[in-house]
Amino acid sequence: MQLHHLRLLAFRAHDATEVAFAPGINFIFGPNGAGKTNLLEAIHYLCLTKSFVASSDRYVLQQGAPHFEVEGQFSGMRRSELRVRLAYVPGEGKRVFVNGAPLERLSEIVGMLPVVSFSPDDQALTAEGPDERRRFLDNIISQAKAAYLEDRIQYRRTMKQRNELLSQIGRSSSPANARVLASWDAELVRLGSRVIHMRHQFLLDFATFLAEAYGRIEEVAERPTITYDTIAPLTPDTTRADIEQAYRDELDRVADNERRRGLTLIGPHRDELVFALNGLEVRRYASQGQHRTFGMALKLAKYFYLYERLDEAPLFLLDDVFDPLDPERSEAFLTLLEGDAIGQSFVTATHAKRFAELVSLDAPTHRVIQVDDGKVVAPATAS
Amino acid sequence: MQFSSESVEGLVEQLTKLPSIGRKTAQRLAAFVLKMPRAEVVEIAEALIAVKDRVRECTICHNVTDRNPCVICRAPRRDRSTICVVEDANDVLAIERTGEYRGVYHVLGGVISPLNGIGPEDLRIRELMRRLVSADDIPDDVPGTNGSATPPEDVDAEAEAIIEAHQAAAVEEIILAVNPNVEGDTTAYYISQLVNPLEVSVTRIARGLPIGGDLEYADEATLSRALEGRGSL
Repeated sequence: MQLHHLRLLAFRAHDATEVAFAPGINFIFGPNGAGKTNLLEAIHYLCLTKSFVASSDRYVLQQGAPHFEVEGQFSGMRRSELRVRLAYVPGEGKRVFVNGAPLERLSEIVGMLPVVSFSPDDQALTAEGPDERRRFLDNIISQAKAAYLEDRIQYRRTMKQRNELLSQIGRSSSPANARVLASWDAELVRLGSRVIHMRHQFLLDFATFLAEAYGRIEEVAERPTITYDTIAPLTPDTTRADIEQAYRDELDRVADNERRRGLTLIGPHRDELVFALNGLEVRRYASQGQHRTFGMALKLAKYFYLYERLDEAPLFLLDDVFDPLDPERSEAFLTLLEGDAIGQSFVTATHAKRFAELVSLDAPTHRVIQVDDGKVVAPATAS
Repeated sequence: MQFSSESVEGLVEQLTKLPSIGRKTAQRLAAFVLKMPRAEVVEIAEALIAVKDRVRECTICHNVTDRNPCVICRAPRRDRSTICVVEDANDVLAIERTGEYRGVYHVLGGVISPLNGIGPEDLRIRELMRRLVSADDIPDDVPGTNGSATPPEDVDAEAEAIIEAHQAAAVEEIILAVNPNVEGDTTAYYISQLVNPLEVSVTRIARGLPIGGDLEYADEATLSRALEGRGSL
């Protein structure tokens, strides 16, 4: 996948920006707060209808502007010309247009323009609670498999309905409700087991991608692993029916507690992923350097996984990730970005200087873009 | 943006109460109404009132009708041993358009949705059970009224005979034609749990690919459902 041209309107720091990109590495330089990251966010919006920075659409919209808009011209293995436009109007929400035609549902765009983002916030992946890890997992599988995203949306809806019912039961226990709850349980188990089963299958595949990615950036032979901790004990042969059975048993076990609290207490929304190096949990035992390497390996593995599954090179968005790296690692990473394994990438940094020593910035496959005060100041005209 | 006339603004507000009419569409409709001849506007207004005054619910299937029971329940040649359960009157219309179905219907009036405050007591589920078994044989925890216990006032002798004939017919199959979303699935499951112990088969309409649609254009979620629900040839 390649992004040729990007246009922003009333998007964060950018009033009206147009910028053209090169097929290789696109370096986006500029002072802090100039609007470098905003360009990556805009690309991410087109690919997944939201930013990689957790934030509401309302805050992405420039104050006082009636709406924001992002448009990109892409080409890929399947489509030689793909014009994607996303518009957000407060109160009306977002709409996505592909080659001028509106999509019925926003989720249809997911997977069409594969993307992998990597930013300093990603340290939360290895260092903080399970939410981030579930989000990482969901993001990859959703891009690779539309059916997964659909199941997750329905699972969430079912859980919302069921929570409402549980809290109604808490307020007044009508005898009719037991049978209604049993019906919601059946739907919850059906959808929840699908989600768990797909996560399990994915993680079995992903293990080799992770090991390979880790090996590319770390010479010390450490073995990275991901253990999936969910409601059912898992082996490679676990079937969906096994998961459904365990799910029903667990629901029985927590039934009283759920009624008391008016909440669905178990299921894939409570799943945990445990990252480990040589069997030691990263969150508890890893050094700063190991955290960083593991985080980077996860992102690279995601990149290679999506590339293989979708037969399309994802866009690689690297926001301020070079700053904490030492020169050797920076060089190794840049060499990787320049090579065939990785397609188009977008790199933000405050200063050009450290890159100039490591890579030829004026190569025809690369481009240097200077951003200042919400504008692209160089190259002068972006067309 | 508001119209300078309060009456027009009032019309816009009323129109936005209708589903899928936003403020902009309502403004366009209101502006159009302003230009229409008075007689036509009266016709629309009368048609709106007529549906509320004249249309009633069929005692048997709960479809909308001018005459109770409805045309479908009255038809002597329709197969009364098969009942197709749908959410709304519109769904009856959709299935009738296929011209394939010769059984009768049962309109639930919605689906179970705690978020919208809709439970089985708000749906015609007990009425459905009454079509299958006597009131005594319906589990006590199924809320609702027992339907034909009090015959509606608008029913004459002929209609009463039809109602009785339906009640006497042995139902062999219930086809659940609710929408394929989580609320529809849950409602279907709820009903199937009630009907399964009876000597009545329960089926669910297949979900999958639209006819005339190319495989390559089907979205992945639909395609994977269609694969799961594949049948043998």
